[in-house]
Amino acid sequence: MSLNGPILKTERLTITFGGLCAVDQVDFEVGRGEMVGLIGPNGSGKSTFFNLITGIYRPTSGTILFEGENLVGQKPHEIARKGIARTFQNNRLFSDISVLDNIILGMHAHQTSGLFDTFFRYRNVKAELKTGAQEAMELLSFFSRELQESCLKRVMDLPHADRRRVEICRALAAKPKLLLLDEPAGGMSPEETEELMQDIRKVKETRRDLSLVVIEHDMAVIEKIAQRVYVFNYGKKIAEGPFSLISKDPKVIEAYLGEEGEDAAA
Amino acid sequence: MKVLEAIAFFGVEIVFFLLVFLFLVFEKTLSIFGALAALVALSLLVGRFPVLHQFLKRGFSAYKIPSILLGLLFILVLPILLKERPYHIFILFNAGLFALLALGLNWQIGSTNIVNFATGASFATGAYTAALLAVHLEWPFWVLLPISGLAAATIGFILGLPCMKTKTYYLSLVTMAFTIIVYLILNNLDFTGGPDGISGIPFPSLGFHSFGSPIRLWGLEIPFQANFYYLVVVLVAITFLVDQRFRYSRIGLAWNAIRNDEIAASCQGIDILYYKVLSFSANFFFDGISGALFAFSMGHISPESFSFNVSVTVVAIVIVGGLDNPVGVLLGSFLMIIIPEKFQVFQDYRMLIFGLIILLMLRLRPKGLFPPSVRTYG
Repeated sequence: MSLNGPILKTERLTITFGGLCAVDQVDFEVGRGEMVGLIGPNGSGKSTFFNLITGIYRPTSGTILFEGENLVGQKPHEIARKGIARTFQNNRLFSDISVLDNIILGMHAHQTSGLFDTFFRYRNVKAELKTGAQEAMELLSFFSRELQESCLKRVMDLPHADRRRVEICRALAAKPKLLLLDEPAGGMSPEETEELMQDIRKVKETRRDLSLVVIEHDMAVIEKIAQRVYVFNYGKKIAEGPFSLISKDPKVIEAYLGEEGEDAAA
Repeated sequence: MKVLEAIAFFGVEIVFFLLVFLFLVFEKTLSIFGALAALVALSLLVGRFPVLHQFLKRGFSAYKIPSILLGLLFILVLPILLKERPYHIFILFNAGLFALLALGLNWQIGSTNIVNFATGASFATGAYTAALLAVHLEWPFWVLLPISGLAAATIGFILGLPCMKTKTYYLSLVTMAFTIIVYLILNNLDFTGGPDGISGIPFPSLGFHSFGSPIRLWGLEIPFQANFYYLVVVLVAITFLVDQRFRYSRIGLAWNAIRNDEIAASCQGIDILYYKVLSFSANFFFDGISGALFAFSMGHISPESFSFNVSVTVVAIVIVGGLDNPVGVLLGSFLMIIIPEKFQVFQDYRMLIFGLIILLMLRLRPKGLFPPSVRTYG
C-alpha cells in the first residue's frame, strides 16, 4: 500500500448468478503503481471479478472504490473514462478494422471531438485522429517493429500472439491509471510469453504510476511480474501476499492440486 | 509510358460510362442483357486480377480530380443524352432517391450492424410531413426539405430509444413492426387521406423556374424530370460528403467498434446508447429528405409507396452494394433500381430476377460489390 492510499479497493464484493456465488465477499486492494497478480483454478471467479470492476456486471452487494469513489452502479463507459482499461481473456478486439483503428479507439475516452466538430470544425477531428495515429505507432513500435509495419492490416488477419499484443496496446492507449490484464499470455508459446512479460515490465518502467492487475495461470509468469498475489477459489479469496509465501500456503496448493476429501469441500 | 497509362486509365473510365449509357438506352432485352453482362464482366475482371485493380487504383490516385470531373460531366450530360426518353431520366431520379435511403441505412447496417427495416416508415414520415404542410399550409419546398428531415430524425430518435433494449434479430423485428404499423396508420387515418393518400402537391420552383417545366438551354429542351434528377444528384453528393465526415471521425470509428463488440466498445469509454441513437437519427434524417423529394416529384402520395417492400429493397441495396462502403452502395442503388425497370418484358418475373441477383451476389461476392476500405491517417 502506498502513502496516498490504494487506487482500487473492494469491500465484501459479491455477485450471485441464480444460486451460484461467483464472487463471494472479496476484499481486494491495489496500491498506486503496484503490480498485483490474481490466480486461481478455472471458474474461481477471476474474470467475473474484472467484469465487476469494469461495470459489465453489477455486484449483488459490496463496494468498489476507485480513488475513493464508489463505482457500483456506473456504466462500463463511465468507468473506462475514469482511467480503468482492461484486456479480455478471449481477446475482444474490433477484428474487421485495422490495428491502427483499434488502438485509436482505445483513446476514445480522451478524445473530445464530437458531432459539431465533425461537421463544422472538421480540422479539429482530423488533427485529433492524426495525433492519435502517431501515438498509436509509437505504442506499436514499443512492442515490435513487425507489428508496426502491419498497422493497416485488419486485426483478424494477424497471428494470435500479435492480437494479444494489439489488445494490450489498445488498453495502454487509454493512458489508464489502472490496467487489468486477463490472461495476457493465454495461448502463447513459452518464448512469446517471455517476450510479452519483458514488454510489460518495459511498459511499467516508462509509466511508473501505472497500477496493474494480472490474471494468469502460469505460476512462473506471476512469480516474475507480481509484487503481491491474490488467490481465488470458488469465488472466495483464499490467500494474499507475496508469491514466495503464497506458493507455500497449504490452502493454495490444495486449490490447485485438489484435496483428498473434495466432496466434503464442495 | 506515363501517357499510355493515363490513356488506358481514362479509356477504362470512358468504357464504363459508355456501357452504363448503352445499358440505359438499349430497348431490346437481348442488347440490355449484353450491356449488363459487359458491365458485370468488367467488374469481375477487375476483382479477379489484382494487377488490374492496382492499375486502376494507381490511375485514380494520380488523376483524382480529372477522373472525378469526368464522372461529374457524365452525370450532368446524361439527361441531355436522354432527352428523348423522359422515363429514363425519371428512373435515374428514382435510383437517386434510393441512394439517399441506402447511404443512410449503411450507417446502421454497414457501420454499426443494426439491421434496420424501418426505412419504409421514415421515408413515409418525410413524405407525409412534406405533403401535409405543402397542401394545407402551402409551405415552400425548400423549407419543407430540411423540416421533413428533422421530423423523420425525431421519429428515428423516438424509435431508437426503445430499440436499444433489444439486439440483433429482435431489433430487426421491432423495426419491421414499426414499418407495418406506420403503413396501417397511414391507411386508416383521415387526415392523411387513408388509402387514397394526399394529392395536389405543387411542383417546387427555384426562382422563376418551376420544376414542372422543361429546362431550356442553348436551344436544347430537356424534359422536366431532369429538374428532379439534378436536385437528387446534388443531395446524393451532399449525403456522400456527410458519409465521409462520419467515416473519418471518432463517430465512424465508434460505430465500427460497436459493430464488432459492444462490450469491448463500452470498455473503451464509448457510450453505446448515444452512438446507436445517433446512427438512427442520422439515417432517418436523410430518409425524411428523400421522402419529401419523392412527395414533391410525384405530386401525389399514398400508403402503397411506403410498404415493407421499400425497407426490403433498401436493405438489399446495401447488402449487394457493399456493407460499409458508400461507393458500393451508390452502385448498388443504380443496379437494383434500374435493372428491374429495364427488364419490363419480364414484368411478371421482376421479383424473381431481383432474387436471382441477390443469390448470385451472395455466391460470388458475399461482402458486396465493394468491400469496406481501410482508413489511413495521412
